[in-house]
Amino acid sequence: MAEAPLTTTFEDIDRTVLNTLGPAPARYWAGVLLLAAGIAVGGLCWIYQIFVGIGVGGQNNPVAWGTYLINFVFWVGIAHSGTLISAILHLFRAGWRNPIARAAETMTVFAVCVAGLFPFVHLGRVWMVYYMLPVPNQRDLWPNFQSPLMFDVIAISAYLTVSVLFWYTGMLPDLATVRDHSTGRKQKIFTVLSLGWTGSQRQWFHHGRAYLFFASLATPLVISVHSVVSWDFALGVVPGWHTTIFAPYFVAGAIHSGLAMVITLMVPLRKLFRYERYITLDVLENIAKTIIFTGLIVAFAYGTEVFMAWYSGNPIEMETFRWRITGHYGLFFWIMVTCNTLVPLLFFFKRIRTSIPWLLGICLLVNIGMWFERFVIIVGSVAHDFIPHAWGHYAPTLVEYGVMLGSFCLFFFLFVLFVKHMPSLAMAELKHSATGGGHGD
Amino acid sequence: MKRRTFLKIAGMGSISLAGCSPDPEKNLFALIHAAPDGVTGEAAWYASTCRECPAGCGILAKHREGRVIKLEGNPLHPVNKGRLCIRGQAALQGVYSPRRLKTPLLKEKGVFKPVSYAAAEQIIARRAEDAAAKGKNRVRMLTEVTGECLLNVFDRALEKWKSAKTLVFEPFAYESLKTANLNVFGLYGLPSYHIEKADVLVSFGADFLETWLSPVSYAGKFKEMHALSGGKKGMFIHVGPFRSLTGAASDLWVSCRPGTEGAIALGLVREFAGKGRTPAHPPGFAEKLKAAAALYSKDTVVRMSGISPEQFDILVNAVRGARSPLVLGTGSGTPGDNALQTDMAVNLLNLLLDPELTLLDFHARHRVEIAAPRSDAVEFFEAVAEDPVDLLLIHRSDPAFYLPGRTAVTGVLNRKSLFKVCFTEVMNETAESADLVFPPGHYLETWDEYAGVAGMVSMVQPVTASLYNAPGTGDVFLRAASGGTGGKTPMKAFVHNRLKDRGKIKDRKDWVEVVGRGGVFDAGLPSRSDRHAEVRINPGEKIWEGFSGPREQEANTRFFAVVPGIRFFDGRGGDRSWLSEIPDAMTQVAWQNPVLAHPDTLARDRVRHGEIIRVTTGRGEATFPVYETPLVRPGIYIVSLAGRGFSKKAEPVRQHSLSLLPAETLPVSGGPRCDAPLVQVQGTGAFIRFARTDGSRTQLNRKIALSIPLDRVKGRRDAGLSEKTAGYSMNEFPLTLPLPEGYDAGRDFYPPHAHEKYRWSMIVDLDRCVGCGACMAACYAENNIGVVGEDRIREGREMSWIRIERYHDPDRPENLIFFPMMCQHCDNAPCESVCPVTAPHHSKEGLNNQIYNRCIGTRFCAQNCPYKVRRFNWFEWTWEDPLRLMLNPDVTVRSKGVMEKCSFCIQRIKHAHGRAKDENRGILDGEVVPACVQTCPTGAIVFGNLMDPESRVRKLADDPRAYQAMGYLNTKPAVIYLKKVIPGT
Repeated sequence: MAEAPLTTTFEDIDRTVLNTLGPAPARYWAGVLLLAAGIAVGGLCWIYQIFVGIGVGGQNNPVAWGTYLINFVFWVGIAHSGTLISAILHLFRAGWRNPIARAAETMTVFAVCVAGLFPFVHLGRVWMVYYMLPVPNQRDLWPNFQSPLMFDVIAISAYLTVSVLFWYTGMLPDLATVRDHSTGRKQKIFTVLSLGWTGSQRQWFHHGRAYLFFASLATPLVISVHSVVSWDFALGVVPGWHTTIFAPYFVAGAIHSGLAMVITLMVPLRKLFRYERYITLDVLENIAKTIIFTGLIVAFAYGTEVFMAWYSGNPIEMETFRWRITGHYGLFFWIMVTCNTLVPLLFFFKRIRTSIPWLLGICLLVNIGMWFERFVIIVGSVAHDFIPHAWGHYAPTLVEYGVMLGSFCLFFFLFVLFVKHMPSLAMAELKHSATGGGHGD
Repeated sequence: MKRRTFLKIAGMGSISLAGCSPDPEKNLFALIHAAPDGVTGEAAWYASTCRECPAGCGILAKHREGRVIKLEGNPLHPVNKGRLCIRGQAALQGVYSPRRLKTPLLKEKGVFKPVSYAAAEQIIARRAEDAAAKGKNRVRMLTEVTGECLLNVFDRALEKWKSAKTLVFEPFAYESLKTANLNVFGLYGLPSYHIEKADVLVSFGADFLETWLSPVSYAGKFKEMHALSGGKKGMFIHVGPFRSLTGAASDLWVSCRPGTEGAIALGLVREFAGKGRTPAHPPGFAEKLKAAAALYSKDTVVRMSGISPEQFDILVNAVRGARSPLVLGTGSGTPGDNALQTDMAVNLLNLLLDPELTLLDFHARHRVEIAAPRSDAVEFFEAVAEDPVDLLLIHRSDPAFYLPGRTAVTGVLNRKSLFKVCFTEVMNETAESADLVFPPGHYLETWDEYAGVAGMVSMVQPVTASLYNAPGTGDVFLRAASGGTGGKTPMKAFVHNRLKDRGKIKDRKDWVEVVGRGGVFDAGLPSRSDRHAEVRINPGEKIWEGFSGPREQEANTRFFAVVPGIRFFDGRGGDRSWLSEIPDAMTQVAWQNPVLAHPDTLARDRVRHGEIIRVTTGRGEATFPVYETPLVRPGIYIVSLAGRGFSKKAEPVRQHSLSLLPAETLPVSGGPRCDAPLVQVQGTGAFIRFARTDGSRTQLNRKIALSIPLDRVKGRRDAGLSEKTAGYSMNEFPLTLPLPEGYDAGRDFYPPHAHEKYRWSMIVDLDRCVGCGACMAACYAENNIGVVGEDRIREGREMSWIRIERYHDPDRPENLIFFPMMCQHCDNAPCESVCPVTAPHHSKEGLNNQIYNRCIGTRFCAQNCPYKVRRFNWFEWTWEDPLRLMLNPDVTVRSKGVMEKCSFCIQRIKHAHGRAKDENRGILDGEVVPACVQTCPTGAIVFGNLMDPESRVRKLADDPRAYQAMGYLNTKPAVIYLKKVIPGT
């Protein structure tokens, strides 16, 4: 598989990465400030909503869930491929994942953080959210563990914890490298962050074990978290939600969107930080190939849903899917089908999957398509469910767009800060590959 | 309002009421035995009479801490027998209307200035005396229909002021009906009808479920004959150019051209004249009748009216086969200029079919018959405009609105030398031109008497502390006529004395009893034999004037018509926000008042559903949004009368639909025309988004609202279901009771709920539901439901806990089925399992309780509810002052961010528990009555305990028609529906 070029020395790697941590240009800070402004817009929208009521969004009866939960599922989905790349591919010894592992894991952590905000934004009375915690109380009131939303709380918090630990464990030797190459306050900070890493044999041994352990722990979580998210819907009775295919369908979709997001992030990153030597076209090509695979799984899921609706003979299911395809949100359905299943097929052509503009363009389309997939599922099902009298439509409002903008800004804000101040390449693992050891043998 | 202010007002209210005086007591008393209405936290009930329309239903007003908070029907009252309509429920909002005037307004130099009540009374008294001093007939008065006592007060005062009697004006005065009764029966009045005794009912436009004479009374009677009982049900045929709510309740709609109802009725007369029974009529009558009707052969009728020959045959055969047929005449809004001909033909038809007229009651006549015909009202204004009149008194009426653009009316209202006094609680068009606007006390705050039908006494008494210390009109007139004497409430004494004079009461004990019961309901009814004493067949020649021969109408004449609707009646409901918030049953559009038209009409005029159209008649033009519906015959645009403050914020913005109608009154009857030939209809290209609450007009075979042909109602419930497969498919599902006996290990995931003693359940009989919406208004009143307004409804955020779903039959779109939908209190409730904090909680009595202060607003329950009955508080809903005074203190007002829904009126269940415990017994069947059940005019809803094998609900659950909405989902709803019964197979 794709290994770092043989000519690469440890010093090359160190220098490339440490160069990215140098003083930032004004352009950078201007970008950060802009993103911060975006976050402020989102925050203000949220505060406004808290004071006035959820009604400032577009949700209604019957569509009581809107973009907040769409974005929640979207960001949880994005989070997935990070862990897939760093944990599952680690266990599979797929060495090509080394150069992108750090960035992908970072993406996971921040995406989960952003995703985790949305349930709060979504709540009608967010100030009462602690009712969801199993806090012992004299009234013996407990959360309802039957509720998929409780599964969510547990799954997402477990996932966040494990991802953060995994991410940090993997980063320890690199933090020490930065510490060793810096001076002054920066050195002090990194001294604390690197937790006294000296690179002793004993430390490397424990590090390796711990990394493997977290990788094994994170792997089932990749499957479980998005399965649990899918049960928010599949455990409901709503036609279009209530189906057994949802768990694998959501996991595949999550990985699909996550991989697309990885490419979306890697293309500018390797360009700006001159990581072309490490994040090679081969690496991107491998991701593109995986996207073909996940895209086909997603296409299979779409087909299965429609087939099951027809095969069930249930007029309600049939009407739901007829309407999904041709009704009020029919355009969104076709955006979803085109972007998620048809467009990625272009990656079958080597010329396209090795062309940076094509890669970026297609992956952006997949990201859009996956957002609309969540829209079609979440909004499109309840808008047209059992009681025809109650049918209705939903459209997001400016406040919701504001919060959505804020969420994207928050994600990129965190990511941009990270890549400029922390090692965004897994130096230790690259060095491992460069010596021909480690993964990829 | 702040809490302290509220307590102050509540305290003041209860003190003042306890003392029957609005003045606070100067001394403090320690109450050893508190007055029944002075106990904080306890409700007191007062009997009174509803005055929202001339029907005069009896009400029981729930009084808490000095204010009235709910109106219910008085079960003792013979008119409504404990039920109320949507307007009766919303009458409460009249007391607390934000638009209600707080003081009299005197116009000085063109500007209204507030003056005190005492000053205003003095002005009226002085002006009247001055006018009387100048000569005769210097004071003229116009009033709405009032009770006998108040009318007497008016006439006595006018007599003292040397003036003629007051004119009684009503926008719907039934002129043609009265004239037809005069011509045929020799009685210029309005008998009542024993609809309940008929087995075939034919209506030529009478909208007796909505506004006609006494809708609550007739709705109940109608269902006595029309609901399934003993395997049989009566038949109702509606003849008319559109299908109103009443028409929708019919088994057959004979859609005829406007104005041809009379021809059809005469066609029927021809069929029955001289056949079968031989009535004892004057000599020569039968021959004349036969000759007059001979012109209306089947072919002529069919050609004129545009109905099909088959429909005419069905009509004839139905009437012929009937044991006890009854035919009703025109409604308040039956289009066409020959309502009189129709009503006369109908009277003759009744005479032919039932020579003894056993289904008409000429004794129990409707009070509204005292209203003068429209022509008299016009003459009244013409006279006032010309005669030397100094003072014009207008009592609770709005002639400027009902007689738009008439020179006589505008002339009078603009006449400077005339001092005009308007007695009205809110500003209206007439009041704007008045010199003095006098807001009298609301009828729920003052003493009066109003008997909706002759022969009884129905009390009107203060049921709440007076909000603005406004005196009643009766008090004002009694004081003014007696030079200021009479004390605080002379009307109370007047009513008392009058009843004593009339022999209705003997002593104080009688009086207390009468006030307590709400009236005298049993005494004075004549025996059956002399009920028709006043009636004779009038052989006069007038009778034949109506039949001048068939008048061919141009087949393509198109009409615009304005008819009264169940929500706004004559337009007066405009500022009652519940009436606007609750959507129209037929269109499911709230807050807006579209004009209805058939799809073919729209195609012909090249306008589209939702477009703002400009309607031009001979008298003018106006714009309306248009709503496409198959319930109107092609060629007609029809709009219900809404005005007098009808707009989204209840500001006085009006639809000037009445100004499009002809100004002339009809000859002979003197009635108004409610329709006008269309000159032109033009689309403006602008569209409106309807604030509608329906997402689909059909139910797509989802087994929601079911009907069953009459001849298949028999046998056992669930007969024919295979034991092996039942319950596993959409087409084969048994009724699964929400009890442990409904548990089936093969279908159920969760174990059954153990209910201790009670499992509350509701039975909704779709065969009885007419879609009137009274239940919705009752629910808004009982449960403090937020009113959200036009924009929010458009966004899909209405808060109603119970709604009437309306579905068109996909094969026959003009046939409707109404389906009341509220929380089903499922035993397998999808909402309960998905809430992360257990805010929807299954109680041990089977209720699905929503715990507001536990709810964090995930809205998962609403998403997962297959019945979509859960309502989320998207905002903090507000009640414009002083509407919040009417909030029910027994029910929490929900804050933003929590979910709510129907609770089966749990506060009433709790109350029954308390009472049962006090008396050391269990709750009796029928003891708990939720607000919707209480008010339903047709008794379509029954509530009770399913665990009690003797309860009504348990027995009805075994009815062969019983089913659960979408039972195939196995949610085990506690709301069980009985299928609507349709004729035929």
